[in-house]
Amino acid sequence: MSFRNRPWQRLRTDKAGLTGLVIVTAFFLLAAAVWAGFLGESWSEAGGGRWESAGAQHWFGTNVLGQDIFLRSVYSVRTAFEIGLVVSVLSTVIGAVLGAAAGWYSNTWVDGTIQWMKGVLDSIPFYLFVAAVAFALQGVYWAMHIAMIATFWTTTGRLVRAEVLKIKSQEFVLAARAIGLPGPLILIRHVLPNTAHILLIQSSMVFVAAIKAEVVLSFLGLGVQDGVSWGLMLAESTQEILAGHFNNFLSASLMLFILLLGFNLLADALQDAFDPRQAAL
Amino acid sequence: MRHFIRILFIFLAVLPLAACDRPAEDPGPAVTYSVYRHSMDGAPTSTDPAQASHIYANFLAVNLYDTLYRYKYLARPYQLEPNLAEGLPQVSADGLIYTIRIKPGVHFIDDPAFPDGKGRVVRAEDFVYSIKRHFDPKTRAQGAWLWQGKIVGLDSWKENGSNYDQEIPGLKALDDRTLQIQLIKPFPQLTHTLAQGFSAIVSREAVDYYGPEFPIRPVGSGPYRLVSFNSASAVLVRNERFREEPFSLEAEGYDPVSHGHLALDRLEGRVPPFSDRIEIEFITEDAARWNAFLAGELDFVKVPVSQFDQVLQQREPPALKPAFAEKYNLLANLESGFVHTDFNMDDPRIGYHPDPRQNARNQALRCAIIKAFDWQKRNEVFYYGIGQVFAGIIPPAAPEFDQKQDQAAIIRDLAGARKLLGDNDWSADNLPVLEYGFSSSVTERQMFEQFRSFMGEMGYPPEKIRPLTFATYGDYARAFLNREVMLITTGWTMDYPDAENTVQLFYGPNSSPGSNSANYNNPEFNRLYRSSSGMQASDMRTAMYRHMNQLVIDDCATISGISRRLILLWSRKLAALPDRSFVGGYFFRFASVDAAEPESRGAGQ
Repeated sequence: MSFRNRPWQRLRTDKAGLTGLVIVTAFFLLAAAVWAGFLGESWSEAGGGRWESAGAQHWFGTNVLGQDIFLRSVYSVRTAFEIGLVVSVLSTVIGAVLGAAAGWYSNTWVDGTIQWMKGVLDSIPFYLFVAAVAFALQGVYWAMHIAMIATFWTTTGRLVRAEVLKIKSQEFVLAARAIGLPGPLILIRHVLPNTAHILLIQSSMVFVAAIKAEVVLSFLGLGVQDGVSWGLMLAESTQEILAGHFNNFLSASLMLFILLLGFNLLADALQDAFDPRQAAL
Repeated sequence: MRHFIRILFIFLAVLPLAACDRPAEDPGPAVTYSVYRHSMDGAPTSTDPAQASHIYANFLAVNLYDTLYRYKYLARPYQLEPNLAEGLPQVSADGLIYTIRIKPGVHFIDDPAFPDGKGRVVRAEDFVYSIKRHFDPKTRAQGAWLWQGKIVGLDSWKENGSNYDQEIPGLKALDDRTLQIQLIKPFPQLTHTLAQGFSAIVSREAVDYYGPEFPIRPVGSGPYRLVSFNSASAVLVRNERFREEPFSLEAEGYDPVSHGHLALDRLEGRVPPFSDRIEIEFITEDAARWNAFLAGELDFVKVPVSQFDQVLQQREPPALKPAFAEKYNLLANLESGFVHTDFNMDDPRIGYHPDPRQNARNQALRCAIIKAFDWQKRNEVFYYGIGQVFAGIIPPAAPEFDQKQDQAAIIRDLAGARKLLGDNDWSADNLPVLEYGFSSSVTERQMFEQFRSFMGEMGYPPEKIRPLTFATYGDYARAFLNREVMLITTGWTMDYPDAENTVQLFYGPNSSPGSNSANYNNPEFNRLYRSSSGMQASDMRTAMYRHMNQLVIDDCATISGISRRLILLWSRKLAALPDRSFVGGYFFRFASVDAAEPESRGAGQ
């Protein structure tokens, strides 16, 4: 078995991790079905009666407008994945590039500038910053995404910088330098690929954080503007619970709980699988 | 000897205890202390009458300060009643000069703002000063629109730099107790404006003394004075120097049939204010407010719509379930206003268009949207089906409301809507994108989604109906005042019981940033408004208002409207009619709670 295959081997034997993978895959398939137009298209139609109970026609019942709660919950999976994917991919890319640059050019003005940027962004309370950016860019569809990407890259950047600092003093890098390869080429071809495990784990964690942040922002009215999300459903439910109608609240919070549980199990398993200390055992 | 020492020891031990004892005092008559605990679903940020632009601020303004007039407590339709004024104004034959005498010997509360801390007598000059403040940019007042362009010299006083020492020809104190207001043109609603919180009377000494702190340091002559005020609560206590005017059921418009169950008769002849202390809780969260009321922590609540099912036995007429009826009184009044969705007529995609053919198509599109709107469902979902839907812009609370108004504008007609679109070459492909504005709240969003659903049933592609959201109502208002919003959903609460106050919402010269947010501009309507606005109430004026109403309906300028029904509950131990319509808050002085011992009601706080 090759060295590269060992983490995947460990992942396959991690039952909790596999459970997480199954949950995430199931949700991803739901999101794909919505993207493809097979499911949830009529989430905004108010075809039912007010606060109908769960039944054959409306699996999770209806909300105050008579909209189908199941369809809205399912459509919200797409919202969650869309935000999770966009934010995790872009913030990981930015974090990787800036973190690698800071690590490679450590103790230079490049490193100083990037570290200063990270320090400034990290010093602002997260939700306050995200809310401020979302508010300032109101009307812009990508406002929430931009706000999250602007803050989530810093942790990835810090981790990658530390890893690059470690890698750049290893022998294979010194050898590459010795034969005259240019620095940026060494960084891209030989150093960055060795941070892949960090990027994989970190992107899964950012994915979860982005979904949670979206729910909070949508709950506060600063998130999704045209569409539906679990955050909006939870916001709606605050008025319904008082009247004894829990379907919106239960379906949104359960879906969110299961997806986050799946991602957390998967992220933990990935972390264990790629941990060098585990590899040594 | 040992016995003696023991007795001496006991004596010495008991002596200090005996010293603590005092002869029994005559407790005198039992001192009672009545506290009325009111709740509001919003919070004011200022007690300054210049900022009394909403009902919450108005509640404080009319209780901490005096206005010249108020409305009779119980009479419906609403009737004006002198408050600080001695009587109704004397009006010249041409309707241009109003002369008002104010009551003698009315004092501001004692406050360090005055020499020796003693409140001085309220003078006519104080009223002049108070109105001038609205026209002083430094005050950032919100009530100037009431008198703008109406009082001789007032607007130019502002243009000339708002110098308080400069006299205004149309706003004069003839002596300490006599006021004279000279109008540019007849304005029969002037007296109503003098019953609003905006017109409450402040003293110049207090404004100067407290400066920027004046909004939280009220110094008035109203029935109450402020003890504490923050974003969560306000505490008012009785103004001991408030003028003594015995309460008369007859003078306040008492009707035994309507008011017999309110236990108001026990108040006859007593001198208001009846409560020693008023504790107002500002609780915006419905659940928290409702739970506090059920727990007995509040005497009054506006019932959240989500609780109507739990509270009401029947909808029409609204009646309480027995469990609630045992403990609470009910008031189920229509609001003195309405909710409507205006088309921005200034937007060529939906409103006026220079090309007559396109202009006609736009009108057809607006009319189709109105036909596709389901008022019955809107009422059912958001107002528990007990709001009153009406056609046009004159709501049921206005005396000029027409019971016989044609209802076609509020009856859903999907077939008619589709036909109208087809006849005017509108199809799913060429229909414009509709931008529906709202401030970002759950209910507003749900209203938008319902609107989109209604239009979808007509055949309007849902993706062509987009939300235009704003974080706060202030941002939203700024956008529609800048004519940036295509569909504007908003509410209007009447300032006084006269339909002039609602038809002015569609008067061309009042276009945004004025109150005409639809930017409706119909020359015939404008002409009628100009002619009627100076007329006293009469059948002719009513007919003119109704004609204007029909013009707005025919032009399909607004999707209108509904007057919400408020369900108000209050404890049976509270003898009051807590009506918040029009200048809400005047009832505080008449609210009487069964008095309790001070200790048990937190009087020591």
